[in-house]
Order: sequence, then C-alpha cells, then structure tokens
Amino acid sequence: MTVDVAARLRAARGGRLRRAQATIVVALRMMLHDKAKLIGTTLGVVFAVVLAAQQLGVLFGLLQKNTMFVDNAGADLWIVPPGTTQTAPGQRMSTALLDQARATPGVAVAAPLLMIGTSVTKPGGGSEATTLVGFDLATGLGGPWNVVAGDVAALRAPDALFFEDAQREKFGGLNLGSVREVGGHKVRVVGFTWGLQPFGPPFSFADIDTVRDLGAVPADQLSFVLIKLAPGADRAAVAADLAARCPTATVIATPTFHATIVSTLLRQQLGITFGTSTAFGLIIGFIIVALSMFSAVLDNLREYGTLKAIGLTSWDLTRMLVVQSIVYALLGSLIGLGLVALMSAGIRGPNLIVIVPRTLVLATPIIMTVLCMLASVLALRRVRRLEPGMVFR
Amino acid sequence: MTLAIDARGVGKVFGAGALAFRALDAVDFQVTPGELVMLVGPSGSGKTTLLSILGCVLTATEGELRLFGERVSGRPERELPVLRRALIGFVFQGHNLIGALSARDNVRLVLESRGTTAHAARAEADALLAAVGLADKRDRLPAELSGGQRQRVAIARALAGSPPLVLADEPTAALDAHAGLEVTELLTRMCRERGTTVVVVTHDNRIFHLADRIVHIEDGRIVDGRLSGVAA
Repeated sequence: MTVDVAARLRAARGGRLRRAQATIVVALRMMLHDKAKLIGTTLGVVFAVVLAAQQLGVLFGLLQKNTMFVDNAGADLWIVPPGTTQTAPGQRMSTALLDQARATPGVAVAAPLLMIGTSVTKPGGGSEATTLVGFDLATGLGGPWNVVAGDVAALRAPDALFFEDAQREKFGGLNLGSVREVGGHKVRVVGFTWGLQPFGPPFSFADIDTVRDLGAVPADQLSFVLIKLAPGADRAAVAADLAARCPTATVIATPTFHATIVSTLLRQQLGITFGTSTAFGLIIGFIIVALSMFSAVLDNLREYGTLKAIGLTSWDLTRMLVVQSIVYALLGSLIGLGLVALMSAGIRGPNLIVIVPRTLVLATPIIMTVLCMLASVLALRRVRRLEPGMVFR
Repeated sequence: MTLAIDARGVGKVFGAGALAFRALDAVDFQVTPGELVMLVGPSGSGKTTLLSILGCVLTATEGELRLFGERVSGRPERELPVLRRALIGFVFQGHNLIGALSARDNVRLVLESRGTTAHAARAEADALLAAVGLADKRDRLPAELSGGQRQRVAIARALAGSPPLVLADEPTAALDAHAGLEVTELLTRMCRERGTTVVVVTHDNRIFHLADRIVHIEDGRIVDGRLSGVAA
C-alpha cells in the first residue's frame, strides 16, 4: 500500500467548514442525549431570566407609576419648585408665575396645578389617604386619564371628585354618586380612573377651585404650572425665556422631568433593592449554568478525549461548548420570557403592573448568551487542557 | 522502502525531579507498511505509552518518530490533530464511542471531521458497518449494542477514511474470549484487505497467532521482536 502522505495531510488540513458542521451536530446531540443535564441547565437559565426580567419588569412598572403623571399631564414644560424630583404635594409657588408664563412668547397655554395630601373619611369611621389633584378644567392639563366611569365635565359641579377605581372598597364602597367627607367638606363621586396609583396615596381629581376649598389653600398658591407650547415654538428657547422670567422656580421639559424622577428613584432604595435582586438572579443562573456545563464535561470527559484523539482540535471542542451555551441561552430565554409574560398578565392590576419593554425582550437572549458563554469558561478550560492520550489510560 | 513506523531512541519521562518516572527508554521500533504487529509485555512496561506516542496523542521526551516518512517529533502540538486525522485510526480498549451518536454517526463523525461530504460519509459509514456485520444496527446507540458489537463499530470507525495506520489498545480486554477473538480476526482481516499497518497492544495470548510479528516490551525497553535488517 503506497501512502501519499502529502495528499493526506493536505486533505486533513482542509474541510474546516465540514468539520465545524459535524462538531455542531455532535454538540447538539450530546446536549439532547443527556436530558437531565439539558433540563437542569435550561432551568438555570430560565430561573435567571424569570427572576431578572420579572424584577426589572416590576421596577419598570413602579417607575411608570411614578412618572405617569408627568407623561399624561399633557404639558410640554413644567414650572416647578426648585429641587422638585417628583409629582407629589410639597412646596407651593406663587400664582404670579402663572401670569409670567402666560406673558411669555411661545406659550400657548399655561395652567395651574395644585396637589394636596388629604384623607377621605369613610362612612363606618376611619379615613384613607389620597393625593388630591386640582387642575384647570378649561385646559384639562393635569386632569384625569384612564377614565373608566363618569365624565370629566362632571367635575364642574361643586365638590365633585374623581376617585381611583381600585380604591372603591378601601374608601368604603364607592360608587358614582357616593358622598364622602374630605377635609370636613362633603364631596360627591362623579367618576373613576383606573391604575392611577403612584408610590404614595392614589390620585383623586377635582377642579382646582374645589381643591383649594377642600385643602384651605390660599388663592395665590399653586403646586406646578403646566405649559403647552404654541405650534412651532422652540421648547428650549421658551424654557430659557421662562427660566429668566421665573427666577424663583425651575423650568423643566417633560422628558427631563421624567428622567429626573427615574434617576432619583433609581439612586434611592428602589434601584438598590431591584438592582440587587436582578443581579442575584443573574448570578444564581450563572452558577447553575457554569456548574451544570462543567459537570456535563466531567461526565463526558472520555468522549471529549476520544474526539481529540480522532483528530478534533481544542477549537473544535470550544465551538461545541459555545454552541451548547448559545442553545441553552436561547432556549432558557424563550421559556423564561414566556413565563414572565404569563406572570405579568397574571399579576397585572391597578396597584402593580409588570412592564417588560421590547428592549428587554430583545436584550435578554443576548445577555443570557453572554452569561452562558462566560459560565462555560470553566468547562472550556477543562476541555482545552484535556490530553487526548487519556483515552489510552 | 519507507517504513510505516520508524521510531528511533524514543524515550518518555513523566514528571520531574525526584518524582520523575521513565516510562520508555531509547526505544527503537520499526514497522513495515501492511504489517500487523502486536506489542506485548507486563503491565507498566510502557506498551500504552509507546502506542500513545505512535498515535501522536503523546509527545516523546526524546528520540525521533516518523510515520510513513513524515517526521512527527519536533512538530508543534497544533499539527498533531492534522497528523491523526490524516494517518491514524484508533481502536480503544473501552470502544470509546460517542454515546449520543448512533453507530452510523460515530463512523460518519470521523469522515466528516476530515472534510468528507455528508452524503459520501453516510455511504462509507454504511459500507463499513455492513463490512463489520452491523448493517441492521447502524441506527442503534452504543448503549443499545453488545460489547462485541460496540467494538465492531469502533473497528468501522477506525477504518473510516482508510487510514494507513490503525492503532489498537487492548481491543479484546472488555470482551469474552469468543467475542475477543472474533473482533480481532475481523480487524486483522479488514486491515489486511486494505493493506493497513496495524499495531495492537494486548495481553491476550489467544490472538497472538494473528500477528505478523510480536514485539516484547519490558521496563520501557523492547526486549524481543525487533524488525531485522533495519539500519540503526
């Protein structure tokens, strides 16, 4: 038998694509063959995805609860007390700011907003806190949205209020026409909103004059001024002009106000709590995947040694583990996101909504792929260090 | 004539310093193309170490090795898988089939790792499995086959791509006497038909009669069975 060694070596050096395809198939078959490891590792990824995505979803939901007023008030610019980081009752400003704003070029509408913290006395005794929002009925800026019963126009009637639908029972069984006492005054329920509950007490809405009466707020005070720009007006230029005219207040664009609320909350307990639980989810998932993949390699060490002995390179085996990592990540992400979607639908309510934005859905498989590939490093190191000669021992 | 295996002064030391252990000591080992040589010797004599070096899965500490005239010693480690794919088929003591792959896919893997197309690999795998008498079991997983059948698949895998050299490590060790003899006879017959050079490490004297030459190794040195007429 004549052996053309040169031709054989040439042939053995080629065929990289074919070898890559073959090793990918072997990697997948090995994964599917060891069903216990497959399930265990996938569950690790699912666990990480569910915990991290659910925690982030709840965080986004809570952030949305705290930014929803800014997002839905209908204003382009806000005039707020200096240092304001949330839409809640607090420091008041002079109504003179309203006149300054109305006189500013580029301002189409300037509307007052008054927020007070008060309580609703229940028929059977006791009371429940609410954040009473007084808005300008003529412009509607800062008025209720997500209205599920009643008509906003009904707030023109004296002592008429909109309440949060989810708080009906809490306020003693509210219905349209129910009468309650707020700040020693009788008020009548004329409508309901849905889901307008920030971190603090739920919002109730009324005409600004009604709120002044209920809270005994002087006529020259307000909480915020909401600005609607004239068509074609430049927001930055108008904001700068307003800031110059209102030196005792802060002028802030709606997107900036939104971002300020979010960053403030994230720097506080909220960010730390959810950031920690999300990180724990990812870390635990990482550990499960790393141990599971390492254990799968240990269980199949002889097979990996055999693959090396028959001529596969360390890179071929690396490719196998990378393929397995990617499959684990994608499979786990798919199942995990599906579970998160189900859980989100299940726990969705006026008090809590889980928001899983598209960016998070798209980022999850990518993050999990990176995580799984990092988790496979331990297994990779073992496989790469494996001597093919071990098959003869 | 180019020798199939030409190992000269090959030595292997494991460990270092006071823990150093010399497994092979200046071994000269030559095999002519198409020859079937059995390496025999007591446990720990260095048979498997020599086989590992011949199979390019272990590098010698000293000496020179050529396979079919191609210098192996001194090559960078990354070149060794290429040599294995190009020249060598292996039969292991414990068959070492990939448990997740069917008999056919175990054979195909070797072929496809050498660049053979899927269609051609499938055809050759089927032909080899038919030749070892397992045409009807080609879709079975190793766990679904008997020990003898697994070793037959291992022989088919070793011969996939017609390597000019087959190295077998105790191919009968995990089999009963009858199956062991049958498997070795099969290996011998198929290799002779193809003109393949074969080195078998074995303790099993019931298969010695199948060898062209028996080489005895003790304490890391070849004590008997050297190829005559080879210049030192």
